[in-house]
Amino acid sequence: MFKSSNIWFLSSLLVSLGVLIPIITVFFSFFETTSNYYEILKNTFLIEYIFNSFVLLVSVLILTFFIGTFSAYLVSFYKFPFSNFFKWALILSFAVPPYIYAFSLTAFFENYGTAFTILTNLFGDGEYNKDIPKFDGMIGAIMSISFSLYAYVYILSRSSFLYQSQNLIELGKSLGFSKLKSLYKLILPAARPAIIAGLSLVAMETLAEFGAVDFFSINTLTTGIYNSWIAFDDLAFANRISFFLLLFIFALFVLENLSRKNAKYHFNTRGGFKQKTKIKLTGSKSFLAFIFCFFIFFMSFIFPLSQMLYWTIKFPSNIFDLPVLTLTMNTLYLVTLSSLALIIFSLISNYGNRVSKNKLLNMLSTLSISGYAIPGVILAVAFISFIAWFDENVFQYFGSYSIKKIFIGSILGLVIVYFVRFYSLAFNGIKSGYEKINISVDESSYLLGYSKKKTFMNIHVPFLRNSLLFVCILVSLEIIRELPITLILRPFNFETFATTAFISASEDMLEAAAAPSLFLILIAAIFIMITSKYILREKDE
Amino acid sequence: MSKNFFEIKNVDFIVGGKTKVKNVSLSIENEGDVICLLGPSGIGKTTILRTIAGLEKINNGSIQLKDKILSSKKINVEPEDRNISLSFQENSLFPHFTIEENILLGAEKNKDKKGKRINLKEIIQLLDIKKILKKYPHEISAGEAQRASLARSLMTKPDLLLLDEPLSNVDQSFKEEIQVRLKKILNRLKISTIIVTHDSYEAFYLGNKCAIILDGQIKQYDDPYNVYHFPNSIEVVNFLNRGILIPAKVTGENSLENKDLGTIKGNFVKHYPKGSSVKLLLQPEDLEHDDKSNLKLEVVDRRFRGTNFIYTLKTSNNLLIPVFVHSHHIHQHEVDEKFGIKRPINIDHIVCF
Repeated sequence: MFKSSNIWFLSSLLVSLGVLIPIITVFFSFFETTSNYYEILKNTFLIEYIFNSFVLLVSVLILTFFIGTFSAYLVSFYKFPFSNFFKWALILSFAVPPYIYAFSLTAFFENYGTAFTILTNLFGDGEYNKDIPKFDGMIGAIMSISFSLYAYVYILSRSSFLYQSQNLIELGKSLGFSKLKSLYKLILPAARPAIIAGLSLVAMETLAEFGAVDFFSINTLTTGIYNSWIAFDDLAFANRISFFLLLFIFALFVLENLSRKNAKYHFNTRGGFKQKTKIKLTGSKSFLAFIFCFFIFFMSFIFPLSQMLYWTIKFPSNIFDLPVLTLTMNTLYLVTLSSLALIIFSLISNYGNRVSKNKLLNMLSTLSISGYAIPGVILAVAFISFIAWFDENVFQYFGSYSIKKIFIGSILGLVIVYFVRFYSLAFNGIKSGYEKINISVDESSYLLGYSKKKTFMNIHVPFLRNSLLFVCILVSLEIIRELPITLILRPFNFETFATTAFISASEDMLEAAAAPSLFLILIAAIFIMITSKYILREKDE
Repeated sequence: MSKNFFEIKNVDFIVGGKTKVKNVSLSIENEGDVICLLGPSGIGKTTILRTIAGLEKINNGSIQLKDKILSSKKINVEPEDRNISLSFQENSLFPHFTIEENILLGAEKNKDKKGKRINLKEIIQLLDIKKILKKYPHEISAGEAQRASLARSLMTKPDLLLLDEPLSNVDQSFKEEIQVRLKKILNRLKISTIIVTHDSYEAFYLGNKCAIILDGQIKQYDDPYNVYHFPNSIEVVNFLNRGILIPAKVTGENSLENKDLGTIKGNFVKHYPKGSSVKLLLQPEDLEHDDKSNLKLEVVDRRFRGTNFIYTLKTSNNLLIPVFVHSHHIHQHEVDEKFGIKRPINIDHIVCF
């Protein structure tokens, strides 16, 4: 008979191992033989893939660092018109996935696009096309990803600035530093771990980005994986590129983890913490701060939103053709199933870790949450590889029916891969809730006669209520925006707002992409507004 | 069958694979007795409590309560199945329940038990927590949380109550009053209790017996008077820090000689042959001040402790000796002044090593 702690340990172990399967598959696939495509590509495009991925990564990091930290600095330290509004409005950019931003950029600046229409309406007919800048190709991809992802850097730097003690600012003043010198000598170095953590997330998302880069026809490692699988039907090669990308991401992951450990040191303000009083800006400084934040807010949220709104109104037939109810139901269906699975299994896994205190389990859990760092394309491909291998070597061997249909091109398969991809969000979200419950609370519960199960149900679950809600909304937000996994694994004729928008845009029907994109932005924005208090740690202020 | 209410037999207390306290044997003879575990921080006192509560396992020996084995190499009764309550040093209140709800959870465990009833109102009044009943754990101070946790533990009406530094966060001004109330309620309810503390005064007041834990073992387990007046080792003397050891030579059945203090008379606790060299325990209250005495020592420090002063005196052989003087004593001696010691020196009981 197993003891109750053993059952929790086993359940937790199974969840962690399950999540690790696609990651392990990618690793082993590296040693498989591939088709001639690898040889062709090695001599032609591979360098281009790597070069483009690198340029994209570095440019996005520079831009998001500048936008994210500077806007966080302004709203954290200064008071200026609408500064309280910008504090949360700047995270609305999360509602706009890079591929929808890419559609908006193209729609606005393309020949005879929205910019052309505005100029014609204002100044009459003219040859405006040649004067309108074109934000396509690499520049378009950099802008789309940066304006969509800078919020990671913004949120983490802002929360770090919040914890910076007034003493630090006063120290700058006493040393005779100007505001600018205080910023780069004291404030930024103190927030370094948080900024690096934010940039690491941006880096992982950039390397994983599929929609925007594919739309702008930039060949990166991620699109390479997708193409080698879709166009050349070479799963082994797709896995081989994935392996290289994984190594890259793993290095970033380690970097991010290291910087988080340092964060403890940097933010230790025990005993010396003094609530900051914001400095009121006046005159031109106040105006410039307002303009900067407004520009970022406008560019990241208002611009894509209004472009999509404009086209939806301009081409109303598209909205009537859009099966809104079906798409909403499909999206909600995926969101509900995935969130439920993630919440339940992450709770079990967290509790298993907590009660068993097993080092192996702890290590496995740490590894299993790396799914978030792995691009959706890789996970989808790895999942197909694993199912194919399992089907051929285990099921077929015993003469059973093929299980491919159950997992590939089915809701079940889709939910499983979402699960692997977003497991870290759910696991870490619940873990941070758990960290607030002292272990002696569990022990008190046992001593009051509660079993482990009763402690879990009566003490932990009610306490974690808010964390669970937060995780649920965060996961939902990600699934609503998610593209590559859904594209690859969705059942035939099963669409979401994201896939409908992307497919229309891929078929050069940007107008038709507007309505689903608009719905997607609005739904995501609502989710963000509901959770903004948690995301911004309002309680800490 | 053991005649003791609670008994630990030859147990090594282990945490994280590391032995903290070795080969412990101690017992509570009668139901309702209180014992205190005294020792420096990190020595393993909390580990002992956690093990008794069933939160840590043992590999040898046994722990018995009311003739039932709770822990041994083969047996480990789960914490929820032992009727033992542990009040943690840190805040262990359920964060999403109010203080009242937390305490009532304790009462829930107690509801089917026979015997003396524990009155919630009485506990609330005794621990002075009425004002915080509707608050949540994060809204109260650390001292209040400790009292609330204590109330919850008491409400479970345990067979054995374990208190880990129960009053460490309670304000000094309020601490003694709570100690009095706690002692009263433990006596009335006859709850056997083991208290971990590093405050020897608290241990001496609350405990029927005290165990001094040093260097990974129990050095002395005795009643508080004996622990203080008849420490059984130099380590215990040093830990209690209530006196010094000075070199002396046994000169007779009831006397010793020290180079600086001269003849010291009293009753030996243990026999030493004449002429043997010993270390004599000299406690601050052993010496009396006398301005007219010809034994003068130099004052190197003076500490005011409210009811008394503690003078530190230096002898010609550079021994530093503490002496209590009532604070109403007519005049004070400054540092570097001479301080007279009454002769002959008579000590009620002579403890030597």
